[in-house]
Amino acid sequence: MSQVDASGGTQGSDPAVPLAYRRLAIARVEPVGAYTLVVLRNDGGEVGVPGQFFMVRAHPEPAGAYLPRPLSAAWADSRELAFLLDVRGEGTASLAVARQVDVLGPLGHGFELREGPSVLVGGGIGAAILPWLARALAPTPKAVLGFRSESHAVCAGLIDPEATVVLDPVVVTEPLARMLPFEGTVYACGPDPMLHAVAALCAEHDVPCQLAMEAAMACGFGACYGCAVRIDGEWKRLCVEGPVVPAERVMAGA
Amino acid sequence: MPDLRTTFCGVDLETPIVNGSGTLDALVAGTLGLGAFVTKTVTLHPREGNPPARIAETPAGMVNSIGLANPGLDRFCESHLPRLGELPVPVVVSVGGWSREEYARAVSRIGSHPAVAALELNVSCPNVDTGCISIGTDAVETRMLLERCRAETDLPLLAKLSPSVADVSRIALAAAEGGAAGLVLINTVRGMAIDRVTLRPLLGGGGGGLSGPAIKPVALHAVYHAFRETGLPIVGMGGVATAQDCLEFLAAGAALVGVGTALFRDPALPVALSAGLAALLDERRFETPAHCVGLAHQRSPQPSPQLEGSER
Repeated sequence: MSQVDASGGTQGSDPAVPLAYRRLAIARVEPVGAYTLVVLRNDGGEVGVPGQFFMVRAHPEPAGAYLPRPLSAAWADSRELAFLLDVRGEGTASLAVARQVDVLGPLGHGFELREGPSVLVGGGIGAAILPWLARALAPTPKAVLGFRSESHAVCAGLIDPEATVVLDPVVVTEPLARMLPFEGTVYACGPDPMLHAVAALCAEHDVPCQLAMEAAMACGFGACYGCAVRIDGEWKRLCVEGPVVPAERVMAGA
Repeated sequence: MPDLRTTFCGVDLETPIVNGSGTLDALVAGTLGLGAFVTKTVTLHPREGNPPARIAETPAGMVNSIGLANPGLDRFCESHLPRLGELPVPVVVSVGGWSREEYARAVSRIGSHPAVAALELNVSCPNVDTGCISIGTDAVETRMLLERCRAETDLPLLAKLSPSVADVSRIALAAAEGGAAGLVLINTVRGMAIDRVTLRPLLGGGGGGLSGPAIKPVALHAVYHAFRETGLPIVGMGGVATAQDCLEFLAAGAALVGVGTALFRDPALPVALSAGLAALLDERRFETPAHCVGLAHQRSPQPSPQLEGSER
């Protein structure tokens, strides 16, 4: 049960669990190729399911980042909460050097784990959330991953040492197309153009597909309306509807 | 300890801390310890809002261009209002529009619902091309809007004003003359952020509204002058992030204090602000927040007991 019943199921009453950040210590930080793995000591905190997200900010706060960052965990259990970061601005850089991190979540809707075979599709830092999903699915999923360089592709080892990896300019839909159709589910996370291409390919072959999407968020709990994404043919809040959304809802009216 | 209970325009609140319109969806996140819940602005017709990017971080704040996304009057009244009535705090519904008649229709319908304690007329949204702010930047239009809506309801009408005008106290006075029971100051300040790499606007709509601690001095100035000009009860907001901020807004003339952008960063903030404000009032021997309202307008200074001890 997430802390926010994002389906609107609170029915006008206050949620039982108040929304509050937890302050967690950083257990370790290590490079994974071009990316950075930040592992927090979770102290028994709730983690939810793969694909849900957390609002995360360094403590003390960096001067150049006023808002927390929405991140989905690379993996999580009662002991550890791990995030794979693409350090680009002050917000992510501050997480990589912090000693403590404030965390709100798990938030939103994660992957719906379905029985049967599955394929994970990841593009760039979108692959960051797939290690946990790969462990949670049975039988062990196949993985198709695309990166812009060899150093970015190092993280593929966290997901599946046997993963099919392609580098720019090859796109993930090339190997994925050769695997379709199959009796199972496709789970994808990556940049929007990749997600739309994967969704279109899956629709063509009638394979169910779930997309983990990304958007800038200020709050993570439905307050700011900043994370608008095209869902059901309308701009909707990704933090409430997603971040994992069935592909057909994204393709509707796209 | 001081008693934070506050009566504002006849509405009883447990604490003077409320949210700014459009900064919380209580049906998703609950009311977070606020004294009242203010809804996102409702318009006659449904609005999808502006295309992304809708938000961008800026120094000590953010810019947003949401574009009054809302379900429209019909769906709001049918599906949202009954659930809002179950919230444990008074509900203020914010209304926007493109003409006096649009506002009047919304005020008439929403104002008759038992779940509603007061109505806010948003005449200050910077993120739509016309309507709203084009009323709130004109004193005569503002007065006529208040007069028109005054005829539709007995509930308190609050005018939400923009700081992006030459003289906010003139607009505040016009709202008072038109029958506003109170004022809400300030909406966001028009602003923009440019991508440091692409050198293009970060927001899909180009410009947007600036919020966060960056605008607190602008907000204090507007509250101070609107209070001096009208004496109306005011919901003061703009960059509020700490209990000290709350105290300063009370001193400038606010009876209630609104949070928004800081709430995005910390949903536990309202509870912390209430506790912190109570402690600050206690330090100064104020029994209620009301005793602090408008102190900045007094000629003689109001030193705190601590200051007396340390500096004299």
